[in-house]
Amino acid sequence: MVRNESYKTPRFSLRQLDSLLGYVLVAPLVCCILLLVIYPFFFAIYISFTDRVIGSEGEFVGFANYLAIVQKPDFQASISNTIVLVGAVQSIKLFIGLGLAVLLNQNIRARFFWRGLILLPWAMPAFVAFITWKLLFAPQGGAFNYILINLDLVTTHVDFLSRDLAMPSVITASVWRGFPFWVISFLAAMQNIPRELYESAALDGANAWQRFLHITMPGIRHVVLVVILISTIWTTNSFEAVWLMTGGGPSNATMTFPVLAYYGLQSLRIGEAAAVSVSMLPVFAVLALIVAVNLQRED
Amino acid sequence: MFDRTTWWQSILYYTLLILVAIAILFPVYYMFNISLKLPKDIYRTPSLLPVNATLKNYEDLVTEYDFLINLRNSLFVASSATFVSVVFSSMAAYSLVRLKYLYRDWIGRLILFTYLTPSGLLFIPLSVIVARLQLGNTLHGLIFVYLTFAAPLSTWMLMGYFKSIPIDLEEQAMVDGATRIQAFYMILLPLAAPGLVAVSVFTFTAAWNELLYALIFITSPDLQTVPVAISRLITGDVFRWGLIMAGAFLAALPVMILYYLAQRFVVQGLAAGAVKG
Repeated sequence: MVRNESYKTPRFSLRQLDSLLGYVLVAPLVCCILLLVIYPFFFAIYISFTDRVIGSEGEFVGFANYLAIVQKPDFQASISNTIVLVGAVQSIKLFIGLGLAVLLNQNIRARFFWRGLILLPWAMPAFVAFITWKLLFAPQGGAFNYILINLDLVTTHVDFLSRDLAMPSVITASVWRGFPFWVISFLAAMQNIPRELYESAALDGANAWQRFLHITMPGIRHVVLVVILISTIWTTNSFEAVWLMTGGGPSNATMTFPVLAYYGLQSLRIGEAAAVSVSMLPVFAVLALIVAVNLQRED
Repeated sequence: MFDRTTWWQSILYYTLLILVAIAILFPVYYMFNISLKLPKDIYRTPSLLPVNATLKNYEDLVTEYDFLINLRNSLFVASSATFVSVVFSSMAAYSLVRLKYLYRDWIGRLILFTYLTPSGLLFIPLSVIVARLQLGNTLHGLIFVYLTFAAPLSTWMLMGYFKSIPIDLEEQAMVDGATRIQAFYMILLPLAAPGLVAVSVFTFTAAWNELLYALIFITSPDLQTVPVAISRLITGDVFRWGLIMAGAFLAALPVMILYYLAQRFVVQGLAAGAVKG
């Protein structure tokens, strides 16, 4: 697109002026990004190859940190836990997200009200949501144990944050807090699908399921993909859920990468901590690349 | 939507919606319920109703735990981060959408990748960098660090908004003698107001809610933000659940009101920016 043709001043100097203005306006943000994201990003990779501790720069040690952490049970646990947690949370959110978006796309009275209600868990601060779920699951004073005991479903308190149940509990809380983003995004995409498509399909005798499969799904496929990927980055990176509900325990049953890296920083062994968080990098890089390609595709 | 909804479909839809409403509202209700109770009522006479309701927890939070200072810190950090981020990102988004220059597309891509870079990867090097800049244990350092997630997301969303606004009005204004800068803040920014609202809400709440960086960078109690202060309450052996829930409720209230008031813009923002359909 050629702009500014209406100007009578010489074209090239104006264009140069525009480029200059462009650089000036984008400069503060780019400086922030270089200092706060790009530099730390490469710095993290560098640190992970040194034996840096608090108070000492440390020296280059090659892959020693990586070799050390892969032998530790907490690191091994955090690999499988992160996969289980993210896999379960994302599948459940996809199912609920599609289901509720389809439901809200029906002839529902007060759709605005229901949409606002569904937004509520997401509007709540994550730390508030997860502390509240820790309370709901608590043996003493927790709502679920109170209900179970009063309905005579159990005789003694259930320890929802025990070794066996901690992971399902963290998954439940994460789904509760995260599903609104999926519903709202899917619903927005569904409302962009032209009504006529559905009307003509209905005339041709397609039933509800066929219309969902052949009109709704293709229409929102792109949004679904992007939501899955972005949310996977967030969920993999989520610190609050595990940190507040279980602290990674009991005995590493819910240990995930960000929490392990945080403990590493607390123990002051920065080199090893950096190695833990950098080991997530390949996964993020692939996810981010697919998101970026998809978000820029129609530009 | 396209068949006539039969009565049994209506029953099914609203039953499902009511179940969803219960699942959403029950934890929020229970939080509020417990915040009104003293430890003896929580443990000895547990109940789903606010029996012997009292505001003692809220009172203790303010008098014993200096919660007002935490609220003030959070308010300062979140509003400063929002202001700086919105200024930087609206300038950058204008530049990236409306002006042409070398490497523009690369800068756009850089911003997108920055938005997708998780804080789990950055907090370790940032802790070294912030200490080196003498910004450790200061609220200014925290504001600075919050730009890592606030500014790229805001820019990305505002680019979506600016693109959706036709350029004609700005061009007309420039033909009539306005400078580019004037066309930007007198024509484009007012038209993009819903986007600015959405971006401000997202940034403010993200900064208000942030726990990990605040936990790492703030060490003095009088500089703690609300999430840190509350999460410190659950690290002990004995949980004062009433007190914790009172704090949690006070922390959640402002952002929930903000979301409720700005719901329309937030939903639009989600559709337009984070997930361009």
